[in-house]
Amino acid sequence: MKKKHLAGILTAGFIFAVIMGAGPGVFLVNPDPDDPDARRFLFGVPIVYLWAVGWFFVQASCVVIAYRVLWRAEEDSEREGEEGTS
Amino acid sequence: MMLAADLAGITTVVLGLYLVVLLTLGVVAWRRSRTTEEDYYLAGRGQGFIVTVMTIMATFFSSAAILGIPGNVYKEGVAFTLFALNLPAAGASIYLFGSKIRRIGRKRGYVTQGDMIADYYGESPILRLMVALVGFLYILPYVIMQIKAGGHLAQGMFPDASQAFEKGALALSVVTILYVLIGGMRSVAWTDVLQGVLLLSGMIVAAIATVTALGGIGGFFAKVREIDSEGLALPGPSGVFTPWKLMTICLFASVGSLLQPAQWMRLYAARSDRVLKRSALVFSLVLPACFLFGIMIVALAGRALYPPEIVDGALVAHPYVGEFDQIVVVMVKELLPEMLGTIGVVMVAVLLVAVLAASMSTADSNLHALAAVLTRDVYDRFFRPRASEVERAWVGRLVIVLAMGLALWLVRAGHHNEDFAPLKMIVNLMFAAIGFSCQMLPVSIDMLFLRKGTRAGAIAGMAAGVIVVFLFTPFPDLLLGRTEDAPVAESVKPLKSLFDIGFTGFVVNAAVFALVSRFTRKLDPERIRERARDMDTREEAS
Repeated sequence: MKKKHLAGILTAGFIFAVIMGAGPGVFLVNPDPDDPDARRFLFGVPIVYLWAVGWFFVQASCVVIAYRVLWRAEEDSEREGEEGTS
Repeated sequence: MMLAADLAGITTVVLGLYLVVLLTLGVVAWRRSRTTEEDYYLAGRGQGFIVTVMTIMATFFSSAAILGIPGNVYKEGVAFTLFALNLPAAGASIYLFGSKIRRIGRKRGYVTQGDMIADYYGESPILRLMVALVGFLYILPYVIMQIKAGGHLAQGMFPDASQAFEKGALALSVVTILYVLIGGMRSVAWTDVLQGVLLLSGMIVAAIATVTALGGIGGFFAKVREIDSEGLALPGPSGVFTPWKLMTICLFASVGSLLQPAQWMRLYAARSDRVLKRSALVFSLVLPACFLFGIMIVALAGRALYPPEIVDGALVAHPYVGEFDQIVVVMVKELLPEMLGTIGVVMVAVLLVAVLAASMSTADSNLHALAAVLTRDVYDRFFRPRASEVERAWVGRLVIVLAMGLALWLVRAGHHNEDFAPLKMIVNLMFAAIGFSCQMLPVSIDMLFLRKGTRAGAIAGMAAGVIVVFLFTPFPDLLLGRTEDAPVAESVKPLKSLFDIGFTGFVVNAAVFALVSRFTRKLDPERIRERARDMDTREEAS
């Protein structure tokens, strides 16, 4: 039950990262091309590019947690099965 | 400044070595193969982790990875860097969809998508043909795209040669055909490992060279500050990449492109679920990193150094670059020899060969898959149901030669015909192809997770989705001979500017699928239970 709960959280987190990263969430940082005073850089880096990198790390974290906590538990039992049959 | 003769000579040597290694791998794979159809198409279902992850990545990353996508970042600026966020979704799908597909494929002896879908919903000629059509509509543009890349690359490698584009396209086609014909899936997968290594390292090396040449990370970002304001914001200078469109690409096109015939067969070919889980992890982390910290860096620098121009109201590449898709080739040719002298020239040659590798690794996988689809789902069902396995394998080889011939002819026609202008950019072909493969998503979700659809619903949904995607490509206007005023393209333009074309087709497909399934004969519950058991139960535990 706990794993099912975690799977739900990770799925929701992943979809949230896509919505924020590549979807309407971009409007929070997207500079207006016609506004000369719009903030286009953060720490010298284009803000939209930085936004993409940040949300990639969120997506990657979801996959890594899923692999380590959810998928690997199944993998361990598989390996035992394989060793048992070899 | 590098001499063109240096580059041409060294490139010829590197290219020669690369081709010899490829053909050797093809021959070794052939010597290890058995004459069964399963071995030719799925390498005996015994592929381990390294081969599986590399062949999935190399098939996923075509010439679009080194030419088309950076070409679009060069054209659209930072807006298109958000495209990289589709890759973790595709990676996770390798496990989420792949493990079920692999398990039932192994238990029931499936080779193609059509085998699984027809077995699940009940054998039907129309269903088989529909699945084969969707596969064909994905594969043909993808193969065309790779051949085009071969032509572009030859132009970059040998700028002084006559008909470099045509010769390059032909050379790529012939070598690819040779090793696919010889070794089948084993040969394709082994060569994908080499090609994948070249491709991924090429993406990173090109970025390191670019940043170093611009004086380090500080110098790189200082140069990027020179990009115009439209190139630093969505929806980009063309106004095409709105957040809604990018989001639908990231959620749907990513998964759709993993459900294309060649990738589906790779899921069958994996040795175990563990192989697919590890592949999913590596794919999700490595590929986006190679984009965001690799090839997209090169394209952004290219946009700063050689900004695109507006000519007659249209956005065109800088005259020094020539075409958008050429930006990486131009950048590495310019920067590496200047930085590293002769070693730099060798590295340019290796990087150019990496582009070739990207093209070949996708062309080979797709041709191989097309052979399986047309042989098993069409020839075997409608022409020669009693054909032996050996005969079917030979028919598959004939299909590979014919399909490559057709693709080559279309590329040559397109190269000399301005009417093909809408498909001139590699990335346009990529989105058209992925749009078709997205139409496998509703049936896949239904078979693997929901299990509520009917055969009639599956057929109707796919047909509706394919028609919608077709309307969004330039083909209807080409068929009507109305390429100048393009009435079909104009009518779908508002929707196309909002969403990914694959997603639009998916929505229609899923709605029709659900509606028709509601009113047509349900599948036998026992039949569904049997197949669900085969998908959900690991064979090791049984």
